[in-house]
Amino acid sequence: MEKIKLNIKIFFEGAYLSYVGLFRWLRPATYFATLVFSPLTQMLFFVLIGTYADGSSHAYFYVIGNALMNAAMSGIYGVTMSIGGERWSGTLPYLFGAPANRMSLFIGRAFMHILNGMVGVVTGLLWGWLLFNMDYSATSPWALFLTILVTTFSTAGLGLLMGCIGLITRNVMFVNNTVYFILLLFSGANLELSSLPVWMQVVSKFLPLTRGIASARLIIAGHSLAEVGSLLLEELAIGTFYALLGYTLFRWFEFVAKKRGTLEVF
Amino acid sequence: MTGWQKITRNVRVISMAFEIEMRQSFTDAFVLFGIIVQPMIVAFMALWMLRDQVADYAIFVVVGSGMTGLWTTLLFQGGNSITGERWTGTLEPLACAPAPLRVVVTGKLLADITQSLFSIIFCYAFISILMGLPVTIAKPWLFAGSIVLTIIAFIAFGMIIGPLFILNPDFQRFQNGLEFVVYVLSGFLFPIALLPMWTTPLSYILTPYWAARALHAASSGSGSNEEIFFCWGMLVLFSVLYFFLSKYLFRVVLRKAREDATLNMQ
Repeated sequence: MEKIKLNIKIFFEGAYLSYVGLFRWLRPATYFATLVFSPLTQMLFFVLIGTYADGSSHAYFYVIGNALMNAAMSGIYGVTMSIGGERWSGTLPYLFGAPANRMSLFIGRAFMHILNGMVGVVTGLLWGWLLFNMDYSATSPWALFLTILVTTFSTAGLGLLMGCIGLITRNVMFVNNTVYFILLLFSGANLELSSLPVWMQVVSKFLPLTRGIASARLIIAGHSLAEVGSLLLEELAIGTFYALLGYTLFRWFEFVAKKRGTLEVF
Repeated sequence: MTGWQKITRNVRVISMAFEIEMRQSFTDAFVLFGIIVQPMIVAFMALWMLRDQVADYAIFVVVGSGMTGLWTTLLFQGGNSITGERWTGTLEPLACAPAPLRVVVTGKLLADITQSLFSIIFCYAFISILMGLPVTIAKPWLFAGSIVLTIIAFIAFGMIIGPLFILNPDFQRFQNGLEFVVYVLSGFLFPIALLPMWTTPLSYILTPYWAARALHAASSGSGSNEEIFFCWGMLVLFSVLYFFLSKYLFRVVLRKAREDATLNMQ
């Protein structure tokens, strides 16, 4: 019992402190610039290309897709930097030297970013309502909430894996920017997946976000949670798979780095 | 020092700064992301989204996506042209050196813009060779002239961004958001007529807008020669204005470095 309590404490303390550490410069203006202004401008760009191509009646497609991309903004960039940043800020030896439970410590790094991502998605949907007259009257709020939660979790799962890759590469920004843009391309945020070449449709099935975006579109169109249940379960499974893969890599990296004494080698 | 000696010295400083910046940037994976990965993904998405909408859409997308690469590189590389020196601890020695800081930054920006022109070449190759779409430039000489003026105009713009980022950290906080703001306001991939009327003056004061207009008109042949010459005139006018403004900004930066000695404080 004591052990469980301790692990829960490590989980939440680690989550909070890594978040504060990442946003050590955290000020309202910085938060606004990173998590409100930047996603808004990206959404505007793609929604405007989309409406130029398909007319304003199709704006909902792009608004929902790009609002859900905000989950990836936190899940990929935030989580990758939380994990990868340990190496840059020289705290990795302390982290690996501590007797703390590794799973609590590792998964905890994603916790605050999942909450952040959810706020980002809701903000994106609100921008859609304000700027593009999105209609949410047929939407079940709880179903949408669950979709957003599962989608942010699954992108954070991929972020955990990318964070581990950030531990063994110098080019963290290259890694997370590339992954983010791959998600933008393959997840169906801006392109109808059925219109893409078959190989791209196959790739999209192995990525987080794809099913989350599809679910959100269905729920906002008035479908029930039961109708998107299987999509959400698959999204959850994909996120869990990436998180576990990331954890395995994390433990392997710890083992090899300790053995070879390469914890801080760049 | 005579006028001629001054010119010779400045050319030498520019060429050295150009060479060093080129060597440093080509080892930076993030730069490669900005000039290859991102423009190609944006090109693919725009191509897919606009295929039924725009006549001559292939060349329109080549130019528009290439411009996104150009602007992204300028914003991140040019914006950090002075801040980067601070991070590496070389800003104050640079400010004290007899070579004018403005001239050094000009050389660095020239290297950044030259590199980012590859984004247009990569987009061209991607769309023409891999996608097999016909990409022809309707007015090659006017297109070449527009490219030259675009380079000058982007350098002039970079001469403002660099000092602004170091003088006011709030600008730097909005760096990610500014990327897409300029994509939107400059009409890289859709006409600015889609935007609210109040944003039009903002587009008009941005050289990327005039550059995109000239390049789109010359590449697709959609604009008359008079329209292209008008855009050239606006590019020259704003470049001159930007250079004068940058002169003032650099003076403030140097004063901070030499009198206040606060430049290295972050």
